[in-house]
Amino acid sequence: MEEDEFIGEKTFQRCCAEFIKHSQQIGDSWEWKLSKDCSDGYMCKIHFQIKNEPVMSHPETFTHGQTCLPMEEAFELPSDDCEVIEAPAASQVIKYEYHVLYSCSYQVPVLYFRASFLDGRPLTLKDIWEGVHECYKTRLLQGPWDTITQQEHPILGQPFFVLHPCKTNEFMTPVLKNSRKINKNVNYITSWLSIVGPVVGLNLPLSYAKATSQDERNVD
Amino acid sequence: MIVVEKFGHLVTGTQAYIHLLLPRVSYLTLVTDKVKKHFQKVMRQEDISEIWFEYEGTPLKWHYPIGLLFDLLASSSALPWNITVHFKSFPEKDLLHCPSKDAIEAHFMSCMKEADALKHKSQVINEMQKKDHKQLWMGLQNDRFDQFWAINRKLMEYPAEENGFRYIPFRIYQTTTERPFIQKLFRPVAADGQLHTLGDLLKEVCPSAVAPEDGEKKNQVMIHGIEPMLETPLQWLSEHLSYPDNFLHISIIPQPTD
Repeated sequence: MEEDEFIGEKTFQRCCAEFIKHSQQIGDSWEWKLSKDCSDGYMCKIHFQIKNEPVMSHPETFTHGQTCLPMEEAFELPSDDCEVIEAPAASQVIKYEYHVLYSCSYQVPVLYFRASFLDGRPLTLKDIWEGVHECYKTRLLQGPWDTITQQEHPILGQPFFVLHPCKTNEFMTPVLKNSRKINKNVNYITSWLSIVGPVVGLNLPLSYAKATSQDERNVD
Repeated sequence: MIVVEKFGHLVTGTQAYIHLLLPRVSYLTLVTDKVKKHFQKVMRQEDISEIWFEYEGTPLKWHYPIGLLFDLLASSSALPWNITVHFKSFPEKDLLHCPSKDAIEAHFMSCMKEADALKHKSQVINEMQKKDHKQLWMGLQNDRFDQFWAINRKLMEYPAEENGFRYIPFRIYQTTTERPFIQKLFRPVAADGQLHTLGDLLKEVCPSAVAPEDGEKKNQVMIHGIEPMLETPLQWLSEHLSYPDNFLHISIIPQPTD
């Protein structure tokens, strides 16, 4: 009997579908992309960021089981469009691409990402690392992630950066066990992405948590 | 296998070629120190940045075993395998960077860990000490078969009550698809206890690769330069024909027309 919580591929796809449904409702730009042979797919989001701005201005931690704080409405997480800056130099704009894939070997989701300037020049691992908020740098170096490495995207075949999946269960198991204890429904993808995303500049508005509907079944 | 590496840019004449015998089971950037040194002698320092390899216009992925690259891209051509070496214009969109030997080791160990996740839920590899992991890597790097297998044999065992691994680590490669490889969960033993064969695997995960019963054979199914019989049990192939990273790297290539 396994102690760790894994998710099957079908559950992964179902959680992604729910996630994307909410994304569409709030104008976040997550999409589902099918592989060319249509046998599987992944979630994808593109957003643009001005270089040298802190990638995250509000390092928010998102924990399940907490009731919504009354102040949460006041937090405006950075949206995709940079509404505050006037006409940034094109050379300073960075395109971030985030892909959520399923790893059948580890039976968990994996976050792939890459970044490039508008002229196509990719950011190096060093550049990416510089964009990671200080508080996450320490945590990243301590684990449970095995740092960020460059790997081949299993569906596109191109180089991406990856947060290694082998320790995912270490932080997901307590989250899922706790949510079962308090009898709250959980979207695995929402929980997981809210934990790993901020490390690499990807933030989730809190409304994703509230979106987990009453009639959603528990994770298998 | 002999490789002739012709330098594509600034060097001409006899200095432009170097012949090497490359191990099928290793990786390009691990075995080409001689190449780097050779060309560094005849080129200006400022002309040299990260080395990369190319065959007939296709950048070669250093993180794939050499034998896999050859089977997939060049097995139907005559030897020697003419690879072009580059020191400029690294193709960022196509190739992973290989900043050091440590990067190759990290990649190799990552593949081994993934293979064991499939075979044993990572139990065997996680129980090993760091020095055992190091011994696997050193065995590969220094071409020490016994050193490597002293540790690797533990990764080839399975519980007495089972008939094989939990799932078989495999990847199927074809040049005709955008997708770099097919990898799925596949058990070596069927529910009725029968051992699954290579043919069973292909029928399940890559049906287009296998010709219909009465049809003409369209493709070669190649591992390590040979075509195992489709009736071969997959468990046996996994134990005996895996690469050092414990994966079966299988190439599907068009049947050559002689």
